[in-house]
Amino acid sequence: MKAFEWSSATTVDEAVKLLAEVSADDFTEIARPFSGGQDLLTTMKERILTPKRVVNLKTIAGMDGIDNDAKTGLKIGALAKLVEIENHPQITKNYPGLAEAAESIATVQLRNQGTIGGSLCQRPRCWYFRHPEIICLKKGGDTCYSEKGQNKYNAILGGGPSFIVHPSDLATMLVALEASVTIAGPKGSRVVPLEKFFTLPKDSDVTKENVLDDAEIVTQVQVPASPLAARSTYVKFKERSSLDFAMGAAAAAVELAPDGTVRQARLVLGAVAPIPWRVPRAEAVLVGKPLSDATINAAADIALEGASPLEKNAYKIPLSKALLRRALNKLKNA
Amino acid sequence: MAERNESNSEILSWGPNDKHRLLNTRLPRVDFPYKTTGTAIYTYDVSLPGMLQGRILCSPHAKATIKSLDLSPALRIPGVKAAVKRLDVGGMLRFEGDPIAAVAATTAEIAEDAVLAIQVTYNELPFVVTADDAIKPGAPAVYPDDPAVINNTRVNDERGDSGKVADALKSADAVVEAEYRSPTLHHTCLETHAVVVDYRGGDSATVYVSTQGTFSIPGDAARTLDLDESNVTGIVQYMGGGFGSKGGIGVEGQLACRLSKQAGVPVKMALPRRDEFIMAGNGPGSIQKFRAGVSRDGKLLAVQVEEYGLGGIGGARLAGQPYVYRAENIYRKAGSIHTNEDAARPLRAPGHPPACFAMESLMDELAYKIGMDPVEFRIRNLPENDVHIRQLQRGAKEIGWDRRSRTPGGWPGTVKRGFGCACGVWGGGGRAQCVVDVSIGRDGAVIVSCGSQDLGTGTRTYMVAIVAEELGLEMGDVHEKIGDTRLTNANYSGGSTTAASLSPAVKVAAINAKAEIAKALAPVLGANADDIVFADRKISAGGKTLTWSQACAALPSAGISVRGKFKRGLSSNGTHGACFAEVEVDTETGHVQVIRILDVQDCGLPLNRLAVESQINGGMVQGIGMALLEGRVMDARLGVMINSSFMDYKIPGCLEMPREMLPLIDDDDPRQQVVGVGEPPSVPPAAAIANAIYSACGVRVRELPITPDKVLMGLMGAKA
Repeated sequence: MKAFEWSSATTVDEAVKLLAEVSADDFTEIARPFSGGQDLLTTMKERILTPKRVVNLKTIAGMDGIDNDAKTGLKIGALAKLVEIENHPQITKNYPGLAEAAESIATVQLRNQGTIGGSLCQRPRCWYFRHPEIICLKKGGDTCYSEKGQNKYNAILGGGPSFIVHPSDLATMLVALEASVTIAGPKGSRVVPLEKFFTLPKDSDVTKENVLDDAEIVTQVQVPASPLAARSTYVKFKERSSLDFAMGAAAAAVELAPDGTVRQARLVLGAVAPIPWRVPRAEAVLVGKPLSDATINAAADIALEGASPLEKNAYKIPLSKALLRRALNKLKNA
Repeated sequence: MAERNESNSEILSWGPNDKHRLLNTRLPRVDFPYKTTGTAIYTYDVSLPGMLQGRILCSPHAKATIKSLDLSPALRIPGVKAAVKRLDVGGMLRFEGDPIAAVAATTAEIAEDAVLAIQVTYNELPFVVTADDAIKPGAPAVYPDDPAVINNTRVNDERGDSGKVADALKSADAVVEAEYRSPTLHHTCLETHAVVVDYRGGDSATVYVSTQGTFSIPGDAARTLDLDESNVTGIVQYMGGGFGSKGGIGVEGQLACRLSKQAGVPVKMALPRRDEFIMAGNGPGSIQKFRAGVSRDGKLLAVQVEEYGLGGIGGARLAGQPYVYRAENIYRKAGSIHTNEDAARPLRAPGHPPACFAMESLMDELAYKIGMDPVEFRIRNLPENDVHIRQLQRGAKEIGWDRRSRTPGGWPGTVKRGFGCACGVWGGGGRAQCVVDVSIGRDGAVIVSCGSQDLGTGTRTYMVAIVAEELGLEMGDVHEKIGDTRLTNANYSGGSTTAASLSPAVKVAAINAKAEIAKALAPVLGANADDIVFADRKISAGGKTLTWSQACAALPSAGISVRGKFKRGLSSNGTHGACFAEVEVDTETGHVQVIRILDVQDCGLPLNRLAVESQINGGMVQGIGMALLEGRVMDARLGVMINSSFMDYKIPGCLEMPREMLPLIDDDDPRQQVVGVGEPPSVPPAAAIANAIYSACGVRVRELPITPDKVLMGLMGAKA
């Protein structure tokens, strides 16, 4: 790890200032915020990022709280730990999918350190991105090596010119739950729906995965209270159950009318695209109909329409369909 | 030292396997308190005053020559104390990871900065890093000047009559033609390769190494330090795994010696995990192509095979096919395929697990093709009275082989059960290199010592047990010393030979100690030395009894020191094993979970049943990794390994463990001799799991690891 300056902030404003005042020639050297450190440290150890300064957010009081209001919903401080989310009684009861997504992450040791803000802002797991000697498109190079290389874990949807998949389990679930994030930066703060927070490589700066500018940080995540959230689930599949990122994932939230038909549904696939991949056409298939084998199968099939697999990841189509079916079946019986 | 003349004594024997007091029981390891509390000092833990940390600059290219190399920018960094070149301008780099230079600094972080500060430029050359690319005509040659290597392929074994095999295949009732592949694996030792060189000038040095051969240290280090071999002490107190990857001091040790010599202070070189993956060896992958024919009644008529180990720049031999089976006609061509990758090293039972996977998959395919029970088919093709026959029969009974669906994929539901089996063999015999000392003090202290190393296989524990049993003592009465070249000689731990080489010498030393004590106490007890009985921590004869401390107090003032040397007859060679696996395949996700696995393994006299069971369990765990998860992934265009971390090179964790894991020692083995059992249990598990997967879902995956993507694509193909 390259030596860096460690600065602890006591307020959000101070954190933003500490981040903004570092000038760097290269995006790899700009100051980076530190919450749980579980992803940032891995990128620094491999010198994928070599920030001149690391700004410690853990010294900011009150940024780790979880507030629950039955009417308006959850306000989760960006520093809230993953274990606190998975074990929070109101979350497990009224936002079960969120608790499941948190619990699915990594190991309990990592979840005791990792935070919700860090989970949303973590960097991709693509082999080429993580290799210290390879300067791929995402690291300022000119080639996405996964497109014609070892792409077993890469994108089948929304890919190009980079083919990463977004690694965050919470991101996938929170998009299904219509969450938004508060962002603080040098120009003040703003609230962005999570669906607009993540960016496709073809639409924006390929070296980033979201709308955060340099010196901007996520300070809070808001999840609206809704019947959708109360009937939500996250189904994740890992190649290695013990510790792994998702090979496929499905986040589903459904509101049922008293007659058992679907009033509204939000379905999001994980590990298939550079962003959490919402499938509106699959949602539409369900609305107005009961959750039956036929509608569930139809939704799962239409969800993967348009997928264009690379050489080694066509399996993600049947896998994602199966995970979406499982998620919806779980909600049917919830 | 008293050396007893054994020529006129009775033939040495351990006695019947079921008549031991300590041996062949379940003994907790004597070093477990130190390992579990963290007080055991591994080489990685060694810290000396003034010690520097070393780091190595590795080639980022699969093939290149060095155009320029300047260490001075590294040496200008504060805290950097030494820098050495392994290669210079013009030097050829043959794989990603090939060491170029090394630095030593006051902290590992400074050393890492220094490595990156070294100014180096390369002439990049065309390379090959996959076997498929390597064998294409006109591919860049790894050994351009070696006429024995054609299309990067070196054939070193060709036998049998291909014409006869072709004829036999024509008359066969069923023929299977198949190519099996297994990837390059890594040893994944918890402790990476680590060396601490304690040389501060002068004419002697102490070198701590995580190595499988304590006595390989002094020679290796002395050559680099330019000292007399006898003035270098080698220390291997605790090992964090070797699995065949750790011999001598290695290139990392040579660089550490040169850095220590230059700096005049101790240097530690402990490889970061990524360097461990790319420059510290690997277990070779394989490509094995078969055509095999059987008769309707299940007789293997012909096997035609081309088997290649993927050795990188090194050689890689696979076990000869048709492995444990007999076939009427065999034609075999075997060799290595070279690529620009780090040289393969032995990996636990080198050449056997991949050969077993291929042959046992083939046997399964043939059995299913003629509709015969896979266990019955195997038994029909083993030599008469082969040990595997009883092991297969026992394993089938223990796993509940009759519970399986005879139709592959026939288990009801989407999550399907399947059953598979496989057999393995290994050597594990002893070598005549070990010498052991036993000393007994007048205070009653008993010390058994030998310079040998304990790779984690339980060497310390059986040394204590053998002496304690012989002298009528308990485990806690005897202490051991190992892992130090100032102690007596021992062999390198390779080929599962340590126990079979060392235990006879311990036994002889213990017998000699007993005789010396008897001789000293005979006058005290007023009895013949031969009549003295050692039991229950007492020594008695002629109605008189002395406690152990009373007896030792009567010894000569210097106590007793005896020596034992290896003797033939106490150990033997040759082990057999049969593994059965029951798996669950989720046919919607491709996930495979091993539900139950058992490994029946013979080993002559099990010195410590707990340690043997532990070896068998470890073999099964590695087999699960090999079957389901592990494999080096190369990028063919960039020439580099792209999964060189524990996040991306996946080894099994707790949730990959089966619900039930049965290490079954084959006590029907009549040999009253010690046979090494370190490696053999790792041979058949991957093959058994692969066969169980086929039984569960009807998809034959011929390339390891059998990951969900392959299972799913197989199922999709089967559906289409």
